[in-house]
Amino acid sequence: MAKEAADHQQGWDFEAAAMPFVDALYNTAYRMTRSPEDAEDLVQETYLKAYRYYDKFEEGTNFKAWLFKIMKNTFINNYRKRQQSPAFSDFADIEESFESQLNEASPRQNKNPEEELLENVLDQDVQLALDRLPPDYRMVVILADLEGFSYKEIADILEVPVGTVMSRLYRGRRLLEAAMLEFARDHGYLREGVEPVKMRSRKAAVVSD
Amino acid sequence: MDCKKVGDSIYLFFDNELDQALLTPFRHHVDGCGDCAKRVDYTRRLLLLVRASVRCSAPDRLRLRILTNMPHRGGIERSV
Repeated sequence: MAKEAADHQQGWDFEAAAMPFVDALYNTAYRMTRSPEDAEDLVQETYLKAYRYYDKFEEGTNFKAWLFKIMKNTFINNYRKRQQSPAFSDFADIEESFESQLNEASPRQNKNPEEELLENVLDQDVQLALDRLPPDYRMVVILADLEGFSYKEIADILEVPVGTVMSRLYRGRRLLEAAMLEFARDHGYLREGVEPVKMRSRKAAVVSD
Repeated sequence: MDCKKVGDSIYLFFDNELDQALLTPFRHHVDGCGDCAKRVDYTRRLLLLVRASVRCSAPDRLRLRILTNMPHRGGIERSV
């Protein structure tokens, strides 16, 4: 009876500690699964597991990071396997494409790539650009840029060295920036009615190669 | 600190991961260098843009589902 009462109390403690992170976990789950239904299931399962292992949580360590680590493991076990290979898989290709985007003269002479991006990118573009990142990069960018975890915390959540976090974050942000610039340029052309001749011809050339 | 080092340190700076001892040299260089100041400003705006654009709340039905399934509340759903 005493044990039951203690378990019961622990349940309420867990609930009070864990419920404030539903939004953060869901946001990350949604960006990783790209499906509202899968994201809801993933977060639900994370809570069930966290509840079950709550007595394993070390008091004084980062509870939010602990929840994210459980969700990461659940994601890898349940969802990762059936995800299609990402649109961008070879970083070298992307890097090259990114550099050429940046170096390519804009039809609007007075604009540099940074101005073009910030002026023309839409909220939706940022989400699409993030969705296109390979999962390993996407995860690190989400944890750092959306959730504000430190490099060390991300390393603990993902169970990789801090150096790996830093290089994935660097590359992930560059890829994100490149994709955002591409979308922003498309909007810029549409808005100004400028035919993106250069871009079209470059893409056509790549395809025909 | 020179432009190259500032460029390499920008993400660390915004991630609050730049070595304490390098903060002052970093700021000092950026204050006196127009190109680096632009780069820092652009990176700040880019990171803020990403943070602001990609933010969604959990639906209420998920919150309710999680609470209903809490074992101490007599939850029923089983973990897969």
